[in-house]
Amino acid sequence: MYRQENSKQNSTGPQNSRPSMDSADIVIIGNGIAGLTASVEARRRDPDARIVIVTDQNHPTINTPALKQFAVGKVSREQLLAYPVGTERSNRIHLINGHVDEIHAQRKFIALKGGRTLGYGSLLIATGSSPMGLPANIPGRDFDGVLTLHRLTNYLDLRRRLGEVEDAVVIGGGVHAIETVMGLMHCGIKAHWLIRGETFLGKMLDQPASKMVLEHVRRSGVMVYTNTEVVGVVGRIGAVVGVVTNHNQMIPCQLVLSCTGTQPVSTLARQCTVPILQKKGIIVNDKLRTSVRDIYAAGDVAALLNPQTGEYEPRALWYHAVLQGRLAGAMMTGREPDKADPFGVPWHATHLGEISMLTVGDPLNSSEGIITLTDSNKASYRRMSISGDRLVGYLALGTAPQDSLAIKRIIDEGLSIRSVKKELLKGTFDARRYFSHKRTHATQGAIKTGRLPETSLFDLPAAPKQLQLPAPGSRSTQRLQTTDALQSLEQNDYSESRRHTDDLQLPQKSLRLSPDMMVRQRAEAEWEGSPTGYRLHTNPRMVEAHTSEYTDVDEGEPFQRHEGKRNLWTYAENGEQ
Amino acid sequence: MTRPVLLHKTGPQVIQEINACIGCNECLLACPALAEPITIDVLNRETFAGPISAPVARFARSCYQCSACVAPCPVGLHRDAMMAWLKVRLLRGGKE
Repeated sequence: MYRQENSKQNSTGPQNSRPSMDSADIVIIGNGIAGLTASVEARRRDPDARIVIVTDQNHPTINTPALKQFAVGKVSREQLLAYPVGTERSNRIHLINGHVDEIHAQRKFIALKGGRTLGYGSLLIATGSSPMGLPANIPGRDFDGVLTLHRLTNYLDLRRRLGEVEDAVVIGGGVHAIETVMGLMHCGIKAHWLIRGETFLGKMLDQPASKMVLEHVRRSGVMVYTNTEVVGVVGRIGAVVGVVTNHNQMIPCQLVLSCTGTQPVSTLARQCTVPILQKKGIIVNDKLRTSVRDIYAAGDVAALLNPQTGEYEPRALWYHAVLQGRLAGAMMTGREPDKADPFGVPWHATHLGEISMLTVGDPLNSSEGIITLTDSNKASYRRMSISGDRLVGYLALGTAPQDSLAIKRIIDEGLSIRSVKKELLKGTFDARRYFSHKRTHATQGAIKTGRLPETSLFDLPAAPKQLQLPAPGSRSTQRLQTTDALQSLEQNDYSESRRHTDDLQLPQKSLRLSPDMMVRQRAEAEWEGSPTGYRLHTNPRMVEAHTSEYTDVDEGEPFQRHEGKRNLWTYAENGEQ
Repeated sequence: MTRPVLLHKTGPQVIQEINACIGCNECLLACPALAEPITIDVLNRETFAGPISAPVARFARSCYQCSACVAPCPVGLHRDAMMAWLKVRLLRGGKE
């Protein structure tokens, strides 16, 4: 792999005979999702950089949130992989299995356990988090059958044990705990759920919501013990037989699962010759830079500013780790994506048995000027905080899943919800319809002001050439031009997507772009304007779908505006305008 | 006058959804059209960009947008929109 890298890159000189990894342009500590995503993103942006991942994990990057499904047998081990097999090799990412002892920030190298050193151009700390586990003073916490669920090995252990367990105790008051409880119920194991506090998820849910969740869990057969802590684990000949609670109650069980939360692994911040600022995690700015030059942090270990509370806190969630990985990858190649706050407000969605839970932003915000609206019935509950006609926070519990990312987007972009307030509150919000209409406004605004819509950070990687070429023998110049226009769109060229949106009204003219028009669009695309507040909500491909001919790849026969196919993309809505 | 409403998500939104996918496999378990084993990582990568492999292409063609995958998603994502995106890429891109 290394040789392959050198053969493609002549500038590295004659060191290709020995795989010495004395230095690399980009060094990433940790091969969790943030680390690997960063390395893949860096490779995409810089084909020649030397990228190294240092990790002490003995398995490839996996979908850690899917471990719960893995434990109950819904997912196999192969399906856990977050990236296809061989991603590291095909992206020429060098993996070093080792433990980083120290960062020498002035001379820019890291020292690995065993004395090996490795220089870096830029360094990413993506060491993730570690579980809290049971408090150290609890007697019996080392009996066989007391598991702290966090890593793959823990879940492998759990999966092996599930067959011989009848009663299990789950400790913890968070989402992880409730998901574990529901997983145990799925396997037909009697679950006893111990919560330290009075309510479930006190920081994210309000009283009625928490009550509703606990009620739901109780109804599905789980024994829920609130205000209860473990004071000791009882064992017999080395294995667990029960736990004793602070109410002097003994709960017999064969398995004790601790889901008491995680903390960032920020030891490296202290083991750096220039101490890196850290509080609840390694403090980073919105570009993921730490307080030390050329060192970045991403994933569970990074503490970002929450725009709504003004505090730095880690966002130990999958989605944020992916986004941060991508941003870190871009930053380390030296190409800074031009967007101020790509992460937006916190967002959490999960299924708790049959009910789905969604919190976006800060639904519990009760400061001045914020109106809280709630709506509840037997099976669902929603709470919104609104400031003016802007949404600040949204909380929903119910059987009908919500379009969670769409609601996050409403908050992130500060869109007016005046027209959909009722739908949001009743849980009947149709995101597609809402954004289809928004798109029109954005387009109109873009036309009137002559400004470009805001570009997105997460531009599409250019698709391989063979996919972009029109099928051989197919179509005339018009078809070619369409493809050409779409090619630039694939590189997230929004000035052209604006053209396409305009063309929605005039479908026939739309795709015949004259050469000078194309040139003008290119020029516009290169212009990087100030934030405009407009974002286009259109998919040019969809426009194409009902304005141009297609060659169906299955049959090799062209069809035009075939009704059946057309219905796939659009439906007409009556009574508008 | 009738006004078209986009039924599916736009490119950047689909990318956002793929980024948010936790890989729990619930959507594929619910899928009535899935005939061969496809892992979610491969499906996600190929929906995103790059060449589309034969099994994924067959799966994309056999998807009939029934939306059975939407309700089981713990994170509230729209696999149907991602599949539609994959279909568009297939239509645009020639043979698998």
